[in-house]
Amino acid sequence: MAKEVTLSGCAAAAQAVKMAKVDVICSYPIRPYTAAMMELAKMVANGELDAEFIHGEGEHAQLSVCYGASAAGARTFTGSSGVGVTYAFETYSPISGARLPVQMMIADRTLDPPGDFGSEHTDAMSCRDQGWLMGWAETPQEAFDNHLINYRVGEDPRVMLPQFVCQDGYFVSHLPGKVTLPDQSQVDEFLPPYKPPHALDTKKPVSHGPQIRPDQGVIMDLQRAQAFLDVPKVIRGAIDDFNRIFGRRYSPFVEEYQTDDADVVFFIQGAHALTARHAIKHLRGKGLKIGLVKLRFVRPFPTEEVAEALSKFKAVGVVETSTSYGGAMRGGNLLHEVRAALYDAPKRPLTTSFMAGMGGEVIPLQEFYWMAEVLAKAVKDGRVGKYVYWVGFEQAA
Amino acid sequence: MFDIPKEREVPFAGVTPAPVGEQPMMITGNWRTYRPVIDHEKCNLCMNCVIFCPDACWQLNEAEEEVVWNSKYCKGCLICVNECTTAALTKTYELDFEDGVVRLEKLF
Repeated sequence: MAKEVTLSGCAAAAQAVKMAKVDVICSYPIRPYTAAMMELAKMVANGELDAEFIHGEGEHAQLSVCYGASAAGARTFTGSSGVGVTYAFETYSPISGARLPVQMMIADRTLDPPGDFGSEHTDAMSCRDQGWLMGWAETPQEAFDNHLINYRVGEDPRVMLPQFVCQDGYFVSHLPGKVTLPDQSQVDEFLPPYKPPHALDTKKPVSHGPQIRPDQGVIMDLQRAQAFLDVPKVIRGAIDDFNRIFGRRYSPFVEEYQTDDADVVFFIQGAHALTARHAIKHLRGKGLKIGLVKLRFVRPFPTEEVAEALSKFKAVGVVETSTSYGGAMRGGNLLHEVRAALYDAPKRPLTTSFMAGMGGEVIPLQEFYWMAEVLAKAVKDGRVGKYVYWVGFEQAA
Repeated sequence: MFDIPKEREVPFAGVTPAPVGEQPMMITGNWRTYRPVIDHEKCNLCMNCVIFCPDACWQLNEAEEEVVWNSKYCKGCLICVNECTTAALTKTYELDFEDGVVRLEKLF
């Protein structure tokens, strides 16, 4: 029987990894993700999980261990946070190029300026173009589910790509929430065993990662590009099966909340969507027609779905929790993607963005109220005053 | 779907059969600027070139009692020329050869 328990995001991730019957885990400590490895280490030590638990010498080693283990045919799990994520940067493209479905949990942490430990999406977002799937969870339940969904999608023969399964540090990783743990039989029905096409085998030896030439490199880039074009339909199929087997109601790419009659919406990914929902309830009580569109996968970016969802509204406020210093919009990365997705839409909403929750600060309800005011003003004026607002540090333009 | 010409296909994820003495699917000797050239009269079979070549492009042919150069994987680093004890090895500009490599016509 499925049962409801209370778990932090880290503990929920560990439970999902256990139920995915992972074969090889490689750890290296850095908070806040470390709590997931503490849970998994206990499970292995207690005999609840039959997996190799390897202590890496650092994050680069963690990923390298998983690279080898995945090539050998193991379902692998690793994870990190903040500068740990960027320390392993060199390994990401070789793993996706090798088409090995390594799974890495990222519980966000700021990149050091000079040693902040708060949650910010910049660590993971910096890795978004390395050929890995990437998406955020809003709650421990969604984190649990995303780990299973990502193994299923990443290991699909049409995909064979690694996955960054992200959750906001602290806001999800350390805040307990209700999680419905499914039966093992449900997980087994959803997630078949990993069957690699080229598992290392002494009876059928192969070389992985050979030296290639530029004229071969372009073909391998094309192979990955093609795989990413094929991912969306695999995600749709996986979400349909997931919803059927586990009784959930996920949309594959964008989830809408209170949007039926909305004039303006927040566009957001991750933990702060939870606060945004409450802000929207209060704002609607005051008569503002506001809703929320939540992004579930930023890679592959669901261009058509985002354009279709957002073109219904008069103004969209992208809540960024990452930096893109010197970028086209002078703020975070999501607005770039949103504006690019909307460019060819027949009807385009006004778009602006909000740098909020930076440094790992909470985004209080009051800040969402302020953002809503900026959006309402944009609708009234028929234009946005600025591409980006650092919330709490600027006046509405 | 992308249109990848048959002759330019690369194995999935670059995975190739192994072990092999030579990897015919991944020929890498097409970016030489200089080519090592041997004068067999001067060679005393000291084996320095065989030992020092980082890509194993010099092999001893025991039947013929001479060292043999493998053009398919030689990058023209000229370590062999540097290590040659009898000046049997010298360098020549690659494009001075009629078959000098710029880019392979055929990939595999």
